[in-house]
Amino acid sequence: MKNIFHMDFMENKDLMILVYVILGILLFATLLFYIVGKLKPQAKLGELKARTKSWWVMATLVLGATLINTTACYIAIALLSFVAFRELYSVLGFRESDRRAIFWAYVAIPIQYYLAYIKWYGAYIIFIPIVMFLFLQLRLVLKGNTTGIIKSMASLQWMLMLTVFGISHMAYLLSLPNLPNYDAGGRGLLLFLVFLTEINDVMQFTWGKLLGKHKIIPKVSPNKTWEGFIGGVISTTIIGYFLGFLTPLSVVQVVCVSFVLSCAGFFGDIVMSSVKRDIGIKDMGASIPGHGGVLDRIDSLAYTAPVFFHLVYYLAYPSVC
Amino acid sequence: MQKLVLRFVYGYIIRVFLRIIVGVRFADARFLLKEKQFIIVANHNSHLDTMTIMASLPRSIIHKVKPVAAADHFGKTKLKAKLSNYFVNTLLIQRKRDKDNPANDPINRMVKALDDGYSLILFPEGTRGEPEIQQPLKPGVAMVLLQRPHIKYVPSYMKGMGKAMPKHDSLIVPFSSSIVFGEPKEILPGDDVSSILTRMQLDFNELQSEISTP
Repeated sequence: MKNIFHMDFMENKDLMILVYVILGILLFATLLFYIVGKLKPQAKLGELKARTKSWWVMATLVLGATLINTTACYIAIALLSFVAFRELYSVLGFRESDRRAIFWAYVAIPIQYYLAYIKWYGAYIIFIPIVMFLFLQLRLVLKGNTTGIIKSMASLQWMLMLTVFGISHMAYLLSLPNLPNYDAGGRGLLLFLVFLTEINDVMQFTWGKLLGKHKIIPKVSPNKTWEGFIGGVISTTIIGYFLGFLTPLSVVQVVCVSFVLSCAGFFGDIVMSSVKRDIGIKDMGASIPGHGGVLDRIDSLAYTAPVFFHLVYYLAYPSVC
Repeated sequence: MQKLVLRFVYGYIIRVFLRIIVGVRFADARFLLKEKQFIIVANHNSHLDTMTIMASLPRSIIHKVKPVAAADHFGKTKLKAKLSNYFVNTLLIQRKRDKDNPANDPINRMVKALDDGYSLILFPEGTRGEPEIQQPLKPGVAMVLLQRPHIKYVPSYMKGMGKAMPKHDSLIVPFSSSIVFGEPKEILPGDDVSSILTRMQLDFNELQSEISTP
């Protein structure tokens, strides 16, 4: 019992600062929409309010899982991968003969997270790109239905890479070894990554709404503008600079990493937009009110997590590289 | 005892399994509490269908609802019949009518279950068939409704179950699915079998378009 509810993060000043920042932002947004809604009843704030409400739930879950119990956090992230994978599988239109291979792809999810949990980096980093890559094609072939098999092979591996391999880098942050003079640890890195990615989404959205004029890529996503993108990148880089204390990086490094993270988040977003456009759907699901499916929320994380992980791994953990 | 087992199994274990693992989006079925008795008629693609309907029911009435199932499939052996009667609360009927032995006739047995105070779950397509393709409705449900016209039927439509667990395959592969219910309806005076089935098919079509545009 003592281990489960051991609130050691309370004594960790760095982590607590971020907790206060997140609560502050959410309180501010909730109050803002409440007051604007009272002053201007004709403003359409229903969706923004639903989004904020969902943000409260998501922030509580993420903070709770990350801070209270690290093991629970691996499970929570694995569940995130699982739901995202399921959402994607359900809209991509696989053949009935693909079901066995898909089943094994589902089985790969707990294995991938277990490898992260036991800190076996070598196996963790090749399991999906090599082991599952070779095995799943074979499983599809053994079923004997060759009509459309290329599409199945390609989409299945793509789904695993995006929703499981990419997202599982969040979990491996927790498995990184301790560094001297760096207290926040893996949890600090994880919260830095999630917070910066999500704030980047919000910033790009907000700047786009406020100033957006010149479309970047109208065929994929008509709402994405240069103003939103640049405003988002600048704000995120500044916020990253101020949150640098959560990472073991130097000031220059943290600014560069935040800049790259912001761009990667944007790329993840438009990649998923193009997929949705191809299938002809607006959202991947309806599990998060105001946001759509889980995958609609973590599309940018699928890009930022591996990018952030490998940058930090290279820059701050040279001894284990 | 069976009442508690059914409540616990469907109200909690299977519901959580379907929600989290399979990815079923449930619809609110509390409106059923207002009906004393009802017949749920649903499309049929998968063994998960019965589980999903049972798990959507308000917990307090789960034990009062009997899924109607084919005796040749679920009652193959005595043990299988016992297990499905206990854990699924089934009403096992034969597929063909029985003129010589009225007590064994499927229509009479369903009417008797209604008279005993049970509600029923019926799949008028009769069998699961190809995944996600609807088959013509069989007349049995209409005959039961004609004999007990005061009992309402509740149309229900499920999507995705046939992908998560199709016929001829006992492996469940999670696939986002959902279930919706329509309004409880009584049959009209002057209805006959074909007019009831036609209206039921329209109910299904309406629910089908509702479920595809969330």
